[in-house]
Amino acid sequence: MTNSIGEIRDADFLFVIGSNTSEAHPIIAMEMKRAVRRGATMVVADPRAIWMTTIAEKHLQLMPGTDVWLLNAMAHVIIEEGLTDDEFIAEQTENFEAVRAKVRGYTPEEAELVTGVPADDIRWTARRYAATPRAGIYYTLGITEHSHGTDNVYALANLVLMTGHLGKESAGMNPLRGQNNVQGANDAGATPVFFPGYQSWDDEEVVAKYEQSWGAPLSRRPGLNLNEMMKKAGSVVKGMYVMGEDILLSEPNVLALEERMNGVEFLVLQDAFINETARFADVVFPAAVFAEKEGTFTNSERRVQRVRKAVEPPAEARADWEIVCEMARRCGVDWQLNDPSQIYDEFVRDAPKFAGISYQRLETEIHDGKTGIQWPCPTPDHPGTKFLHQGGVLRGKGLFTAVDYRPSEETCDIHYGLLLSTGRTLYHYNAATQTRRESGLDVKQPEAFVEIHPRDARGRGIADGDRVVVTSRRGSVTVRAVRSRQVRPGCVWMPLHFAEARANVLTNDAGDAVTGTAEYKVCAVEITRAEEGSAVEGLFPGAYFGLDGPGPGAEVESEG
Amino acid sequence: MSERNLITLNGQDVEFTAGETVLEVAARHGLEIPTLCHDPRLDPAGACRTCLVEIEGWRRMPPSCATKAMPGMVVSTESERIARHRETLLSLYLTDHTQDRTEAESYGPDQLFEMADRYGAEQDWGAMETVRAARPGDRNPYVHFHPESCIVCARCVRYCEEVEGVSAITLAGRGSKTTIATVDELSLLDTTCEMCGGCIDVCPTGAMAEKMPITRTARPERELEKVRSTCNYCGVGCQVDLNVDTAANDGAGRVVKVTSPPAGTTTNDGNLCVKGRFAYDFVEHPERIQVPLVRGADGELRAASWDEALERAAAGLLGVKERHGADSLGFISSSRCTMEENYLMQKLSRGVFGTNNIHQCAAT
Repeated sequence: MTNSIGEIRDADFLFVIGSNTSEAHPIIAMEMKRAVRRGATMVVADPRAIWMTTIAEKHLQLMPGTDVWLLNAMAHVIIEEGLTDDEFIAEQTENFEAVRAKVRGYTPEEAELVTGVPADDIRWTARRYAATPRAGIYYTLGITEHSHGTDNVYALANLVLMTGHLGKESAGMNPLRGQNNVQGANDAGATPVFFPGYQSWDDEEVVAKYEQSWGAPLSRRPGLNLNEMMKKAGSVVKGMYVMGEDILLSEPNVLALEERMNGVEFLVLQDAFINETARFADVVFPAAVFAEKEGTFTNSERRVQRVRKAVEPPAEARADWEIVCEMARRCGVDWQLNDPSQIYDEFVRDAPKFAGISYQRLETEIHDGKTGIQWPCPTPDHPGTKFLHQGGVLRGKGLFTAVDYRPSEETCDIHYGLLLSTGRTLYHYNAATQTRRESGLDVKQPEAFVEIHPRDARGRGIADGDRVVVTSRRGSVTVRAVRSRQVRPGCVWMPLHFAEARANVLTNDAGDAVTGTAEYKVCAVEITRAEEGSAVEGLFPGAYFGLDGPGPGAEVESEG
Repeated sequence: MSERNLITLNGQDVEFTAGETVLEVAARHGLEIPTLCHDPRLDPAGACRTCLVEIEGWRRMPPSCATKAMPGMVVSTESERIARHRETLLSLYLTDHTQDRTEAESYGPDQLFEMADRYGAEQDWGAMETVRAARPGDRNPYVHFHPESCIVCARCVRYCEEVEGVSAITLAGRGSKTTIATVDELSLLDTTCEMCGGCIDVCPTGAMAEKMPITRTARPERELEKVRSTCNYCGVGCQVDLNVDTAANDGAGRVVKVTSPPAGTTTNDGNLCVKGRFAYDFVEHPERIQVPLVRGADGELRAASWDEALERAAAGLLGVKERHGADSLGFISSSRCTMEENYLMQKLSRGVFGTNNIHQCAAT
């Protein structure tokens, strides 16, 4: 996030795209609700009628994967109607002309044909976004989990830059991080392209610095990202060390991955619970959970916060950091790191953006009425950074990037007539190794389901609660059908959490060319009825939301 | 306005910003005014009347939570008249509240008893017959409503509407029968409730309480040790207080409750969601892996010592490197683990095994 969570309540216009905020980030949703209560205008762009649309001024219900069309059309309107912030563009950006030329062809009328969003709504949203000084964009995996995810992000960034909604409070470009420590894991350099603190892996000065710091020769060869590692599992990647992830539940197209995993010669797994990946493990280390160890998580707004040990881990389980230290020792390297605060100090020593942060400061300091410190924080007396790009874009000039619409890798055909998107629900979390073990959460949402529009369900003879088989080119799973008007006709939606009905059996492992992030949000499927079931009232978002309850459309349906 | 924004508060001139209430100005200057119905996250209701103050020239005592500071106001928060009013009021509230303090505190901290102690209110004025309806059939797993403790301050109802925005609970009935209800007395599970537990967080008397600690007969909250940490679910980074029964599990401790730090002190502003507040059972789940496991000759995983498991793991990965080169190894770190652990994982990958094949599940 360029800006902070606490600034959301003071925003006057919120453009929420590809984020099911009230389910995936409930506390950020509360800030948005507060803003709307105060009088702010919210527009939600999402293929589903998520909860946030109930308080939004407009819901742009676009077809999955057509984001670039929608965003370029908004840029088209802003430029055509002279709503750009020309001073900001001239002083703080470069390459605007390329975008101007590119979006000329993206008219709202044509956008309507592709995205399904009325041209007038696109115009209205573009005008309001451009004309409101405190206007923020909030997005999540609905933007990034596409084969053209990077293009989506560029198209959003173009809107931010051309309207100058950057470097000021309650505005900016705000990706809401999915996991507790997505930010921290990237800060730490657990990515092939960066050393800790976002220092390029191929910058010779950086590599030399770390060679000296760690006292070891380092590779100059590029690394594989997660998507590539999964695609090359068994062929190129012959050994794996997996810490705290269930790749066989979370990765796309898992059946193909399972086959490739047979070619992996050795796999070490480190987790708190036995998961699907354990089937391929040669060694499993028992790991402590967050309540049993010390450390830091860094949240979406770059705020470094402490994790503290409350209870002892069970039996022989140990903290992940202890196990990794011990592994290094067994491989002949003693790091002599005996405490997470020592690890933190070593991390900041070579990472200038973080150099001012220490456990001691995290323990004692309060900034802006809140605990934790937001990086960048280069010196021990620096208070941290509430929002980025203040007084000038960080890289010198904000770079416009002209992007063209590319269809998703997979679209509907006569065999697979529905577009599947996957996502999270409020009541479970990711691979659900934790939440499926919560009696309470499992009462609320005990099994996997697929949301299907009544019109599509009727055509396939599917009643609410029926068990159905969802099939893609890669595999099939059996789940319960929930007839719901939350989804568009032609689109269906499934949660990703359930091991007995893995949505990722279906998903496409086509990755974004830059980030490798897989296309979890769009793949073609077909659905057939397996057996009659009974609708379970109140258990599923569709019914729970009341959207498929008796209403004006009910009689029409029963006739069909 | 050129006039400075000043009010006189108990004889001292203090500044305020436009729009601040007397209660907020007082709190900012370290002056505590008691209140039962106010919460900084909610619109002022002025309902409980415990926060009344005296303002020079005003005939009545106004509620400080709903009175905006105006330049030149002369405010007293303590006086014989205020003290008399508070005592009477708190004693009256206690007649509409369970007399059993031990029972009440088993549901949660009870600010009414604490306030009565602090301000010397009589606690023996008898009890009204309790006619407030409970919701006995509510099969929701988390939120318990204990009507005997309810004083109808409506903080829970207002939080549900104003902050969480779902309006799952409502005030129903009249007079002493007024209660906290759902539509048609439905279970919270079947309403728009999203189980955020905010109603529990804002309740001053423990009338809205957590089911799990009650059914597990946890000790009262004040006897638990609070450990401030960061929630391990999504990327918001809510601060949580893990409430630990330190004597449980033979001294290893047990998390029996998760509460949020006070509003206004952390990013989450006192709020939590269903997962952050309630989903901590996994910590002590019997399926947690207890000991290291290695795959035996029979193809099954079996228990092993740390020594054996570490040796096997190191030899296995080094063996792959020897046979196929460093870039045949893949290190998959985790955005669920700490920054420090991710740092070490990439250091292991790059510095010990010599490959840049290090990544994790982060995609945004």
